[in-house]
Amino acid sequence: MNILELTRKGRTKVLVIGNHSGIIQSMLDFDFLSGKDIPSVLGIVAGNRKAEKYFFGTKEILLPCYKNIQIASEVLGSKVDWMLNLQSGRRTFESTVSFFDFFPKSLGAHIFAENVPESHATELISRFGKKYFIVGPSGVGLLVPNALKLGAIGGVDAVQIKSGALTSAGNIAVGSTSGGMTNELIHAVARAGKRLSFAIAIGGDRFPVVSLTQIFALAEADSQTEGFVYFGELGGVDEYEIIELIKAKKFTKPLVAYIAGIIDEAFDEHVQFGHAKALVQTMDESARAKREALRSVGVIAPDTFPQFLDALQKLPGGAYTAEEMDIQPLQGRQKSILSTRKVLDIDEGRVFVKGKKLLKGKENAFVDATLGALLGKPVRSPVTRAFTEAVFEMLIDHGGNVSGAVNTMITARAGKDLVSSLASGLLTVGPRFGGAINEAARLWILGVVSQKTGLGFVAEKAKAGELILGIGHKKYRVGLADPRVKALAEFATLLKKHPHYDFARSVEKATTSKNGKLILNIDGAIAALLLDILSECEGMSERELQELADAEFFNAFFVIPRSVGFIAHFMEQKKNDEGLFRLPDELLFVREETPKKNKKK
Amino acid sequence: MSRVKITEYRAKKLILGDSYTGVSIHNGKIVLPKSGRFVAKVDQGIKKRFKQGLVAVDGTSTAISKSVSLWRKKGFSHFLVEPYVPHEESEEQYLSLERVRTGIRILHASAGGIDIEAHPELVKTYLINPALPYTIVPGIPEKFLKHLVEVFEKNFFSFLEINPLVVRGDEVYILDAAVLVDSAGIFFVKNGWSEDDIVEGKARHIAEEKVQALQKTTPASLKLTILHPDGGLFFLLSGGGGSIVIADEAELNGVGRSIGNYGEYSGGPTREETHLYAREVIQLLLNSPAKKKALVIAGGIANFTDIKSTFRGVVDALSEYTGTLRRKGVKVFVRRGGPHEKEGLLYMEEYLKKEKLFGSVYGSEAVITSAVDDAIAFIKK
Repeated sequence: MNILELTRKGRTKVLVIGNHSGIIQSMLDFDFLSGKDIPSVLGIVAGNRKAEKYFFGTKEILLPCYKNIQIASEVLGSKVDWMLNLQSGRRTFESTVSFFDFFPKSLGAHIFAENVPESHATELISRFGKKYFIVGPSGVGLLVPNALKLGAIGGVDAVQIKSGALTSAGNIAVGSTSGGMTNELIHAVARAGKRLSFAIAIGGDRFPVVSLTQIFALAEADSQTEGFVYFGELGGVDEYEIIELIKAKKFTKPLVAYIAGIIDEAFDEHVQFGHAKALVQTMDESARAKREALRSVGVIAPDTFPQFLDALQKLPGGAYTAEEMDIQPLQGRQKSILSTRKVLDIDEGRVFVKGKKLLKGKENAFVDATLGALLGKPVRSPVTRAFTEAVFEMLIDHGGNVSGAVNTMITARAGKDLVSSLASGLLTVGPRFGGAINEAARLWILGVVSQKTGLGFVAEKAKAGELILGIGHKKYRVGLADPRVKALAEFATLLKKHPHYDFARSVEKATTSKNGKLILNIDGAIAALLLDILSECEGMSERELQELADAEFFNAFFVIPRSVGFIAHFMEQKKNDEGLFRLPDELLFVREETPKKNKKK
Repeated sequence: MSRVKITEYRAKKLILGDSYTGVSIHNGKIVLPKSGRFVAKVDQGIKKRFKQGLVAVDGTSTAISKSVSLWRKKGFSHFLVEPYVPHEESEEQYLSLERVRTGIRILHASAGGIDIEAHPELVKTYLINPALPYTIVPGIPEKFLKHLVEVFEKNFFSFLEINPLVVRGDEVYILDAAVLVDSAGIFFVKNGWSEDDIVEGKARHIAEEKVQALQKTTPASLKLTILHPDGGLFFLLSGGGGSIVIADEAELNGVGRSIGNYGEYSGGPTREETHLYAREVIQLLLNSPAKKKALVIAGGIANFTDIKSTFRGVVDALSEYTGTLRRKGVKVFVRRGGPHEKEGLLYMEEYLKKEKLFGSVYGSEAVITSAVDDAIAFIKK
C-alpha cells in the first residue's frame, strides 16, 4: 500500500514538534469538518507547559504537551503516524532524527522551517529518504482530502477549508514548489469544479527530502489520481526529470503545468549560475525553456496564468458544486481564559436532617478537633458537629470563576508554589468574596439584640444605602430554592428555638417582596443557623457570639474548607500546566485618555 | 536556505589556514615588503574580474599600491593582496566541489584557466559520499582533497571552485578561489566565516538596503529589487511563487519596461513590518517620474499570512502619503486571499474609496492576475 492509501485508511495521527497555534487549530478544524470524531493531533512537543487549549469544533479541548520526544513516545507508544515539525531551521535536524528514533513505525513528516542547512537536508535524505515520506524542509506540507492536513497547506482558517474543498476527495493531484501557490492551485482546482486526490508543497529549498520525481511516481501509483496540476519556477532542473519520467512512460497521467519566471527576462542582468552547473548541465533553467521542454512531451504548459486556469478544464473529473458546509460555528469562537475541573457539584443538595432527626454522618475527628481549637473548648452537641461537617463539605469549592480560585490558578500558572498560590487565593477573602458569612452573622446578632423587625431592619439599611450580606442570589429566587440552603434549613428543625434564623427569614420576607432574587443565601443561612446552634447546643451567650463575630470566627468557616478547594485548583493547574497566564487583548478594555488625534495633514 | 558568496580572502584563509600569507585590505594603507612580486584583486564577489581589469598580476609593491588606489577611485572598497606564484599556463587545473542531493560532487579538469567553460569535454565528475569508497581524483594530492572536503563540511560550504589550481608534487597553489556558503549554516559555523565575510547580494539602492536590514530582524520574508525606477507599475506582492506569476503577467503583456520593482513579503510579517516594507515601495513609486502610476497590491491565497493585519500595515504606510498619492493620480489595485481575507479586503476597499485611490479590489474568487491586469490597462490608458 502506498503512503496515500495508508493515510486514507486512517493512518493520520500526528505529533507536532514546536508550536504554531494557527496551523494546529486549522488541522483540528479540518478534522472536525471532515466528520472525524477525534482530532488527528495527539500532542505537542513544547517545553514549559503540559497542555494547550484548542477547539475541536466548538468544544474546547486540552492538547497534551510533552517536554521532549522521548516522553511523548512513552505516553503515545506506537500511535503516532506523522510528525509535523514546526521548529526553527537550526533545531529541525536534531528533532527529526530523534522523532524517527522514537517512532520508527511512523509514516513520515512535514518539516516547515525554511532555514535548514543544506548538509542537514542531504543528511536527512540519506538517513530517512527511502524509509519515510518527508515533505520539506520548507513548503506548507501535505494534504490528503478528508483524511490528513499536515501543515498550513490549504490555509489556516475555516473559510479556506471550505472554499478549497479540502474535506472532499477527488482525482486531481497538486504539486508546487511554492507554498503560497499550492493554495492558489488548490483553490483553482476547486473553482474548476474538481476535487483533489492529494496536494503537496515541495518547498523552495534546494534539497527537499521527498523529490519532485518521487511525487510524480506517487501520483502515478495512486489509483485515485487521474490528473496532475503542477506549479514550478525558473531555476533548477527538476522539470527535466519530469520530462524523463514521461518519456520513460513512468508518468502517464494528464499534466497541466505553469512555470513562472518570465519576469526574469526583464532583469538587466540574468541570475547567474555557478560554473559547476554550467559545465555539467547544458539544460536551460529559464522558465521559457522549461515550458517548451514540457510541451515537447505533451504536457499542457500555457504561457499565461489565466490560460493555465482554463486548461484545468481539460483534466478528467466530475463537475462538483460548491461545498455545503456550515463553518459559522467555527468562526468567532471565544477561547476560555482559564481551565479547571469540577471540584465539587455545587448544585447538589445533600440531606443532613430528615423528619427532624439528624442523619448519621461520617465520623470526623478533624472537624471535632477544629471546632474545639476555634472555640477553645470541646463541642458538646452532635448537631454542632454535623452542621460544621455539612458546611465544610459545601464550601470546599464554588467553581473556578470566583475571585479566590482565579487568583490561585493565575498564581499557579505564573509558576509559583502551593503556599504562594493558596495565599494569593485566600487574600481575596473579604467584604466582597467569601467574607459574607461573618458579616451576615454580625447583622443577625444585631437584629436579634435590637429586636428589630425584618421590615424595619431592611428599611433602615436601605435608607443608609447599605447592602445586607447574606441576602440575594444570582441564579436562585423565590419559587426556585437554593438546594443547599434548603438542606441546611432542616437543621432548624432540630432546635427548640432559632431566633437568628427567624430574623434572617423575616429579613428575606421583606427583601423578596421587592425582588424575588433577594432570598436568604447560603452565607446568610450558615451564619443564622450557626448562631442558633452555638447558642442552644453549646450554650453560648449573645455576647460570646458577638465576640466570635468580632474575631472573624465565621470567616474561618469559609477559609478552612475553601483552602481545600484552592489547593485542588492549584494541583489541577500544575497538572495541565498551560504556561504563564496572560489576559487576551479582546478581554481587556483599554480606556483611551484623550481622543486620538487625526493624523491626516 | 540560500547560497551566498564570501570573500576570496576568507575562502583561502579557511582552506590554507596560517600558511596563507595574503592580506585583506579595506580602508587601511597597504604595507608590503619592498622586494617581491604580488597579485592584487578587488575582493567583493565581482564576476569576470580579469576582463574588467580588477586584477593586477605580478606587480611590485609600488605597482600594486597604484592599482589599488585606482580601484578605490572607481568606488571599490575591499581588496586582496597576496604573493605572486610564477607558473606556466600548462600547469593550471580546474577543481570544484558542490553539495548535491547525494553528497559532494567534484569536477576536475587537468587544464584550467578562464577558458574552461569552452572545454566541457576535459571535465571529469566524481562523487564523495560517506557510503561510497573513498574517491581518488587523479592529479590532486589525496591529502589535499581530504582536507578540502573537511573544510567544506565544517564550514557549511555549498560550492567551492579553484581555478586555476597549480599542483607541484605534494604542493598545491590556489591561485583563485570562489566559495558559496550555505547562509543557513551560520549558526553552526565555529571560528569559520561570519556575516562580515559575505560579499554577495549587496544592495544597490537605499530602499533595497533598508529592506535587507529589515529582513534581518524578522522570520518573515521581505524582498525588494528595483528594476526600473522610472516605471509606472509598482508592486507590493506576497508569496515567492505568486509574486512571480503576477510579475510575469506584466512582462507577458509587454509592459516589462514599466515595472518599477520586484519583491515580495510573506511568511506572516506583522502589521508593523508590513508597514515599513510597504513604505519603501510607496516611496519608490512617488519618486518615479512616470506620468501614470499604479500600485499593485497582490498575491496568491496565503496559507497563514493574516490578510487583515498585513493590510492594516499597508494602509498605515499609504496613510503617510495619502495626499501626495491622490494629487499624483495614483490608483491602487488589489487581489489577495487568505486568513481573514474578507475583513482585510473590506478594510482596504473602504480606505481606498475614502481616499480616492481606488482602482480595484479582488479576493480569492478572482484570478490571481486580476489586479495587475487592471493596473496595466490603467497605465496604458
